Amino acid sequence: MKNNHNITLNNINKSYQKGNNTVVVHDNFNLTIESGEFVALMGPSGLGKSTLLHLMGGLDQPTQGEVIIGTQRIDNLKQAQLTQWRAENIGFVFQSHHLLPVLSAQGNVELPLALTPLNKKQRQEHASYALELVGMSERANHYPKELSGGQEQRVAIARAIVSDPHILLCDEPTGNLDRKTADEILALLTQLNRDFGKTIVMVTHDKKAADYASRVINLETYIFEPKNIEVGERL
Amino acid sequence: MNMLILVWRNSFRKKVRFWLTCISVMVAFFLFTTLSGVNHALTANVSNSNQYRLMTSHKISLTQSLPINYKQKIAALPGVKQVSYASWFGGFYQNEKNQLPVTAVDHETYFDLFDEYYISPEQLTQWKNTRTGIVIGQSLADKYGWEIGDKVPLSSSIWMNKSASFNWSFTVSAIYQTKGQSGANNKVFFQHAYFDKGRAYAGNSMSWLSTEITGKANVEDVIVAIDKLFIHTNSPTRTTTEQVFIKERAQQFVDMAMVINLVVIAVFFTLLLIVCNTMIQTIRERNNESAMMKALGFSSLSLIQGIYLESLLLLGLGALAGSLLAYLLITAVGQNFNDFLPGISIAPSHYLTVFALVNIAAAFCSAVPALAIKRLVISETLGGQA
Repeated sequence: MKNNHNITLNNINKSYQKGNNTVVVHDNFNLTIESGEFVALMGPSGLGKSTLLHLMGGLDQPTQGEVIIGTQRIDNLKQAQLTQWRAENIGFVFQSHHLLPVLSAQGNVELPLALTPLNKKQRQEHASYALELVGMSERANHYPKELSGGQEQRVAIARAIVSDPHILLCDEPTGNLDRKTADEILALLTQLNRDFGKTIVMVTHDKKAADYASRVINLETYIFEPKNIEVGERL
Repeated sequence: MNMLILVWRNSFRKKVRFWLTCISVMVAFFLFTTLSGVNHALTANVSNSNQYRLMTSHKISLTQSLPINYKQKIAALPGVKQVSYASWFGGFYQNEKNQLPVTAVDHETYFDLFDEYYISPEQLTQWKNTRTGIVIGQSLADKYGWEIGDKVPLSSSIWMNKSASFNWSFTVSAIYQTKGQSGANNKVFFQHAYFDKGRAYAGNSMSWLSTEITGKANVEDVIVAIDKLFIHTNSPTRTTTEQVFIKERAQQFVDMAMVINLVVIAVFFTLLLIVCNTMIQTIRERNNESAMMKALGFSSLSLIQGIYLESLLLLGLGALAGSLLAYLLITAVGQNFNDFLPGISIAPSHYLTVFALVNIAAAFCSAVPALAIKRLVISETLGGQA
């Protein structure tokens, strides 16, 4: 079961067209993240950390190469298939929480479940459980504007895990938070990894945040290693 | 979490903008529905009119009188079944705000020609035998609580009587009903003989003649014959079918309707731009949320459906309020100014048109946001620092 959700990037090339210039972000990039790992992707801006995260989550597609999640190759899926696949397999946590201001914390967490066959009562139960896991049960009926930044991010994490995805992709999840709140969020992610076996890939600039991960990949050094051999290093 | 709840809450996210846009939609549909009611009145009267009845008036204008003896002359023409005549009294009850469509008619013949007014034979006889008698519509009797035998003073802003007064005394002698046009139940008829003897001037004259022709008669031949009869007199005539007569009388409104039509088209066009702009602004403001929802697994189609439903709600509420206001106005006009626009009402089919328009407009207004949603690239919108 554990091996079924490995993240494998094979010979990834990713380039963008910027005016008349082609900007190469990744050239023949390889990476494997095993199921149940908590990986921190680090490095200076512009090296393509978020791009990697987007490729793993099916939000973007490589110019060349393979993105394989478990046994499913996703780089050649059509948009509709990718959308469906994301709903079932991936939870996202971004730097900005992007909660819907018109919905309460409970409503926001329930939102992804609208895509599932669960009935109203089941959806409410699942959302309540997710909120309980992130310690936000007391604030279930509060709207985003009534929550602090840390609380909003907790709700965003609850929304990411409510449909029980195997993989959590977190893009600078603590970027907007103070140290204390950031530590609370990181402890929560660690708990989700440790207690629930979620595979977590986190992009961060924060070395202290990276300390929470079981493996840290510094792209600055990693990219230039021959064949991107799997040698994640502790910073 | 239900998607419909999300649509509802998203709609009211910017309350001021929502209601201002909704009011502009309401104004457009108010104009559209009101115009539809006016058009209905104009067309309904023409189609309801009797094709075997001819109307003869002074060649110059309806305000010029014709001698009463024209009746006998026309009656003697071949193809003519019967002739009657009438004059406009233009009355009001108590004060000028209570305008009533009062007409002096030839009591011997008028209701034989105009058999769409149902009067019991006893009441008709009673009216014919009462010099000051009036025949009133059922809705008028209901409105003022008038009953047979009541003395009713009516005033005219045109006709002074021999007592140098504009106040005339009448007695309710009969009450009529009509079928079809509900608004036609508020008329008042009285004897032309009483009018002739009572008025201070212009005696033995009337405003127009109504001629019923036989089924075999050629309408054009009779029209030519009537006008030829008086061509060299001091009061030459112009005869038309009742349909043409009503159509011409309505012509002044038709032109106005055309102007209003153009205004409504302009208003609708502007409205579409306003609502389109609102929806484009809306989706632009929610770019990040839309991207997040797509990342969560919502398809572009489901987000487009949401924006369509929001447009539909905005347009639907406005259209409902506008149509309702127009309905109330048209109903009030129908009750109080029926003489000027008899049969004014909103055809049920109009509401189907409104329904279709709302849906088409909603689809139109959702088109650009739909394109934006479709083209939305999640990684670029939510993207980190690469």
